Amino acid sequence: MKRIFLTLLAILSPALVHGQQSFLDVTAPGNRQLQLGISAPKNLNGGQNPEIVNGVNDVLRFDMTLAGPFSLMSGTGGSNDSGIRPGEFNFAPWKVAGADLLVKSGYRVSGSTLTLEFRLYDVFKEKEIVAKRYTGNIRDLRKIVHTFDDQIMLSITGEKGPFTGKIAFVSKRTGNKEIYLMDYDGYNVQRLTRNGSINLNPDFSPNGREIIYTSYKRKNPNLYRRELFTGTEAPISARRGVNITGAYSPDGKRIALTMSKDGNSEIYLIDTTGKQLARLTNNPAIDVSPAWSPDGSHIAFTSDRLGRPQIFIMNADGGGVRRLTTSGAYNDRPRWSPKGDRILYCRMEGNGFQIYAINPDGSGDTRLTSEGSNEHPRWSPDGRFIAFSSKRGGKEAIYLMRADGSGQTRVSRGNADDSHPTWSTRW
Amino acid sequence: MSHTLKRNEPGFGWMFLCSTAIHLACYFFLVEFHFAPRPFKEGPVYYVDVVNLPVANPRAGTPSSPGRAPSRPAQQEMALPAKSSLKASAKSTPPNQKSAASDETARQFKARMAKIEREVEAKHVSAALDALQKKVAAAGNGGRAGMPGAKGTEAGSDYASYIRSRLTDVFKTTISFQTKSPEVMVKLTIDRNGKVIGLHFERSTNDRIFEEAVRRTILKAAQTFPPPPGGEKFEYSYRFAPEGVSKK
Repeated sequence: MKRIFLTLLAILSPALVHGQQSFLDVTAPGNRQLQLGISAPKNLNGGQNPEIVNGVNDVLRFDMTLAGPFSLMSGTGGSNDSGIRPGEFNFAPWKVAGADLLVKSGYRVSGSTLTLEFRLYDVFKEKEIVAKRYTGNIRDLRKIVHTFDDQIMLSITGEKGPFTGKIAFVSKRTGNKEIYLMDYDGYNVQRLTRNGSINLNPDFSPNGREIIYTSYKRKNPNLYRRELFTGTEAPISARRGVNITGAYSPDGKRIALTMSKDGNSEIYLIDTTGKQLARLTNNPAIDVSPAWSPDGSHIAFTSDRLGRPQIFIMNADGGGVRRLTTSGAYNDRPRWSPKGDRILYCRMEGNGFQIYAINPDGSGDTRLTSEGSNEHPRWSPDGRFIAFSSKRGGKEAIYLMRADGSGQTRVSRGNADDSHPTWSTRW
Repeated sequence: MSHTLKRNEPGFGWMFLCSTAIHLACYFFLVEFHFAPRPFKEGPVYYVDVVNLPVANPRAGTPSSPGRAPSRPAQQEMALPAKSSLKASAKSTPPNQKSAASDETARQFKARMAKIEREVEAKHVSAALDALQKKVAAAGNGGRAGMPGAKGTEAGSDYASYIRSRLTDVFKTTISFQTKSPEVMVKLTIDRNGKVIGLHFERSTNDRIFEEAVRRTILKAAQTFPPPPGGEKFEYSYRFAPEGVSKK
């Protein structure tokens, strides 16, 4: 048997070796952005509505600029096009201008009803990639455009964009720290809490329909759960001491939080009704800020068990604790990426904090911010962007950036202190 | 006490003979070394087929209509000296008969030379044709790169390399990716007319933007693909990756 195997191996091995090498490498330097042409929206009923045209253009351009893979091109003609469907316009000017992709849009207004139609084209192939028509109230224009922008991201990158997600955050715009909700780009701000107390650390449930947050409205920092669509709210952990930095597990069935009911800040697991499931840490040091890995198997957290606050990782059952960060004297607020490949955290530098990203094995420690003091980093649901708060403009405000730290953009409006952003899944 | 030394050496005659023999040997050795013709050791001769080395022309070796042989340079007529004067003319003018005989001799000589040249040229053409026929016969189904019957897939084939160079040129203008080290292996099928009829992604790191850039590269480059050699379908795999990006 062995002899037969060796004979076969001897016969086949040259063929295998030959087979492995029967290709040629094609390589090129650089990484160019895709040239995305955006044609001015066309009124399919004739005439023009500048408010709608500007609204569509603004949202489309903001989303696609932040997205990263695209370089936007100004409108090239289009005013004489008879329509936005294939065959109703000419690709030639866009080809000459070097466009790879083209977005054509058209609209119809009937009373307060708005119909928006979008078509994304591959300019070189002169082929339609995706076409969508949305009908809604004219007030929903921004949401409609965000929805199509999510679709563009799906078609081009293979993963839907996060542009229809909401950001919950803490703001002092009324004088107290209340929880607010806004579109990811800072529009349509809604106030969620009105208790006149201090409310902190909001976190979305995986389905985006609930948030948990810590509130001092009963004097003690307790953890509350709030259903966003009904407004129903209930305390889920009001144990003695702190009940803070709650974080939903990826399956939404458990919550990891910091409690000090036994005298020292430790990390615990509770279910969504508040029933304690397990105590994960047992150390005389302070353990806070749990963050789940996307598969729910590990939890990153902050601990000063070695003298100064550093980021640690443990199994979801509390075992296998290991230190993650080795640089910096004060590291806090870890947050695991949705893809599981990076962990964000804040490092104290000088009088403020900067945001860093590190691989779960401790390699690839990279600084992402440098201007002002930057804290509270949170991933977008697709892991492509990061929301964070920054004091670079004086008062604290919500900013966005890409996962590599590029494209930092302020989305907070007004001049209030905004902090603790958290990005929901798509609504 | 005294010693009598007894010489035990050979006599003068022996010494003289030995010296003479040694001198003669040296003399003949030097004479031989200097003046005798050295035997020439002929080494193996290697012939390099310059015509069929990989060249930029992707279709080298493809059977085609026989090309025209380069025309021979026109034989230049010898310039005749211009008549200088009547006196000189009168002095040098031979009798008519002598002139006619000389012309006849020149004509016959030219005719003989032309015949010899034709024969030599015919031999060369015949030899070249024989060599070409032998090559075609030897090529068979699995030919060598650049040879008639080759498919462009043989080791060192210039058609596969030519396609790669076309792809690389376009790839420089289309490359775009969103992951750290994207890589795509594409099996490309080109029909006998040079048209891409198959584009199969054999392996990919699932970077959609990179995959689309590769697809766009192939479709753009395909506009410049010539027909494969041998008049047959060409199939080959190409691995696309950003330059200088390691897998690690």
